[in-house]
Amino acid sequence: MNIKNAKKRIDNIEDVLATVAAGDLEARIQSDIEDDFSGIEAAIDLLIDDLTDELKNRKKIQNELEEKLKKIQEQQKTIVQQQEDLMELSSPVTKVWDNILILPVIGTLDSQRTQIMMENLLHKIVETGCTISILDITGVPTVDTQVANHLLKTVSSARLLGAECIISGISPAIAQTIVHLGIDLSSIKTKATLQDAMIYAMKQKERVAPGHKSDLLYLDDEVE
Amino acid sequence: MDVVKVRQLVRYHAKEIGLGIVDQTRITTAASELFRNMFLYAEGGDVLMDAGIYNDHKAFIITCIDRGPGIEDIEMAMKDGYSTGDGMGYGLPGSKRLVDDFYIESTVNQGTTVRIMKWI
Amino acid sequence: MLQEKRIPIIKIGDYLIVSIQVDMHDKLAIQLQSQILESIEKTGAKGVLIDISVLEMVDSFIGRMLSGMASMAAIMDAAVVIVGMQPAVAITLVELGLEMPGVDTALNMEKGIEMLNRRIRQINE
Repeated sequence: MNIKNAKKRIDNIEDVLATVAAGDLEARIQSDIEDDFSGIEAAIDLLIDDLTDELKNRKKIQNELEEKLKKIQEQQKTIVQQQEDLMELSSPVTKVWDNILILPVIGTLDSQRTQIMMENLLHKIVETGCTISILDITGVPTVDTQVANHLLKTVSSARLLGAECIISGISPAIAQTIVHLGIDLSSIKTKATLQDAMIYAMKQKERVAPGHKSDLLYLDDEVE
Repeated sequence: MDVVKVRQLVRYHAKEIGLGIVDQTRITTAASELFRNMFLYAEGGDVLMDAGIYNDHKAFIITCIDRGPGIEDIEMAMKDGYSTGDGMGYGLPGSKRLVDDFYIESTVNQGTTVRIMKWI
Repeated sequence: MLQEKRIPIIKIGDYLIVSIQVDMHDKLAIQLQSQILESIEKTGAKGVLIDISVLEMVDSFIGRMLSGMASMAAIMDAAVVIVGMQPAVAITLVELGLEMPGVDTALNMEKGIEMLNRRIRQINE
């Protein structure tokens, strides 16, 4: 066998392998000498090249995955935010007149949404000092026992705060359900339409604050 | 410790644990009803407050343990308006309506344990 | 110790104003009830406003005390208005089963006074 500088070259190979193992993938043997040993040196260099490529690939895939995960998490956040927004949007409590609040409810009511709605309305009553609020459920297709009970609870709670709550827009389907379920709504004020509820609320308002009688009441009184 | 202090402690922990304002009020009120029972019928007892997982729900848990006379007919005691003593009869059933999980166990002449939970 | 926590009752015109600022013990609640009834007798007040806006909790005992007091005061010809209940307290009371049907309530002190004025005017008419 013909090997030049055998000791030095083996040391070099050991050094390079140690460096690569430590994480520096730039290291190569790159021997200029041509003899029986060169083949092994070249093979080791090739192996290190392959390893480098492989690691780079893996890193790239990992980065892509991380990016995708981040994107999904962001989307998740948006969905949650939108759900919350929707919850808020779907129960907007508005002051429509001096002393009168309206909460128009649109869409299906579940127990959780009704609960949030109830809390929103009660807080708004305290915040604005409005003594009459109208809960309009014209846009609600059906109610179940739990939701009907929450509605009842809202009215009773509002009364404890010192405010009256009227429910308007009860559809025939809801009226049927309520009676079939055996829920007693006789203790609360219900009106067929939002308009009826509004008229009732305006009259009530005058009665509540007799110091500020408006022409509206006189007109109304004459008509009746 | 007196009832008012324990009640305030319940609210403090309910708030710390992340319950909303209405749920804080519910669990504090429910606990207050149980504390009153312990004082009226058993001359006091032990109160344990804990947070844990129950049936896949993160829960705030309060357990009231007394060594009083016990309840003979639990079913009756859970009915609205029923009371044997100075209580107004809203204690147990009212407390049950305010929480997400209610468990009662009682042995005559040995005592009563009531555990209430509110999901977080 | 209980005596120290006496809740002040203030008389303004024909009305008594009671502002509950502390978390009430059952005994304190009972004491307050008789205190208010005695004040009605002493002053001849026509109305009582009880402000509970800082109360974070009203359980069945205090709830019963309040509605009981309204009935008792009514027999003594004085109207009671509960003022400023917090939403969370109201929801909890309703869930407890204490809807306090016979008790008048008002959102704030001003509305409570308006309510009493109206009530008394109605009686006098």
